[in-house]
Amino acid sequence: MTDTTTLKLQAENIHKSYGSHQVLKGVTLNARAGDVISLIGSSGSGKSTLLRCINLLEKPQQGRIIVAGEELQLKAGRTGELDAVQPKQLQRLRTKLAMVFQHFNLWAHKTVLQNIIEAPIHVLGLPKDEAIARARKYLQLVGLEGREDVYPNHMSGGQQQRVAIARALAVEPEVMLFDEPTSALDPELVGEVLRVMQVLAQEGRTMVVVTHEIGFAREVSNHVVFLHQGLIEEQGDPKQVLIHPQSERLAKFLSGSLK
Amino acid sequence: MSWEIVFETEQLLAYWHGLLTTLSLLLSSLGIGAVLAVACALALTNGPWIVQKLVGSFTYFVRGTPLLIQVYLIYYGLAQLEWIQSRWDDVWPWTHFKEPFFCALLAFALNTGGYTAEMLAGAIRETDPGEVEAARAMGMGRWQIMARIVLPSAIRRTLPPYSNEVVMMLHSTSLASTVPALTDVTAVASQIYSDYYLPFEAYLAAAAIYLCVTFTLIGFFRLLEKRYLAYLAPRRN
Repeated sequence: MTDTTTLKLQAENIHKSYGSHQVLKGVTLNARAGDVISLIGSSGSGKSTLLRCINLLEKPQQGRIIVAGEELQLKAGRTGELDAVQPKQLQRLRTKLAMVFQHFNLWAHKTVLQNIIEAPIHVLGLPKDEAIARARKYLQLVGLEGREDVYPNHMSGGQQQRVAIARALAVEPEVMLFDEPTSALDPELVGEVLRVMQVLAQEGRTMVVVTHEIGFAREVSNHVVFLHQGLIEEQGDPKQVLIHPQSERLAKFLSGSLK
Repeated sequence: MSWEIVFETEQLLAYWHGLLTTLSLLLSSLGIGAVLAVACALALTNGPWIVQKLVGSFTYFVRGTPLLIQVYLIYYGLAQLEWIQSRWDDVWPWTHFKEPFFCALLAFALNTGGYTAEMLAGAIRETDPGEVEAARAMGMGRWQIMARIVLPSAIRRTLPPYSNEVVMMLHSTSLASTVPALTDVTAVASQIYSDYYLPFEAYLAAAAIYLCVTFTLIGFFRLLEKRYLAYLAPRRN
């Protein structure tokens, strides 16, 4: 953990509150290259908020964010929330932190292909043919080759989420952030998305995954973080932590959800 | 009924010229109005507070008063102002305020611009916040998100109400006949009525012309919607 050269993501001492309600009370999360970190915890524990603070979709009150060795320059605004000093730096770092959302958030008026090539062309400045080649590569990876010209609304939830994963892959990020990627899916569609994520993990991609899928956390991730009321209650090797939890709260949480 | 007179070459030619005037009035005001609408919609949704209030008062006035009053205010009202009178002989752009076509065009463009701005602003506000969030998370800047994601989506969703607006504007151009020396289709019909005392024939012919243009416009918008709103259609497979 101390070797900073392999650290892809450092989120240090993140504090976030809404009014007087403290959601995160100082959470630190480090990811080395190839780490697959599962963030678990009951609803309201702050796990999604932590993920959204990493790419500043939520503005924390306190904390540092370092992506692949580059620290995001932050300054406090009038309300006490931290904001990027240079919007350009934030935009550049965000392309290194591609995010997959619970509700897919695909651009409905764009086809599958247009969704995937949008950021490579208009954010990274890739030539169109190169972006299309990339899109086809990642569509194949998520098992949706040949569906380039379909609109998201005409696909199942599982397919839409796989398109969203291909869209995130297409910017070739340093770290992929998954915000409950299977929570909005019908039970029979969860498997196809988890299988794609397992392939990504095996490819050695660095991933931070907020999830309720304890099976995924146990089998795919190499580190699990259990959040409770805005603090890390317990963390470690999933095989240890999830099978022999030290804290009473984690034991209680797992007994309610372990499959 | 005596349709022979209406179908004489002279009258047909007059209707034809009337149609050209109506169409050029319609298309120019829609064109100017569309540019105005996009600018106003952006101001309404993203502008500073004071700009939002100013543009809001403009659309409030346009939508709250009859178009005929707006035409009269510009054609007769502005011409009363000494400030404009002292300039309209030689200072551009005030020279245009002597032209009936320009005054009608200005009133129509402001009117359709105001209505369309509110439709578009509504569609911009209703854009799925998740889509905007995804764009931010992908590293897009504020204006890039507006230009690449929000506007293209909002303009598409504005198409169905906008097609109504276009048909309403076509029919509203008949108010231009109240401005002297502007001979649109309605003015031609009025002329034939007063020349030959054939009210029914003259206005029925005008109505038929408006009907044809209306259906052409509706058909055109059907095609646009089929192409640009395909993503909202029920899935076919």
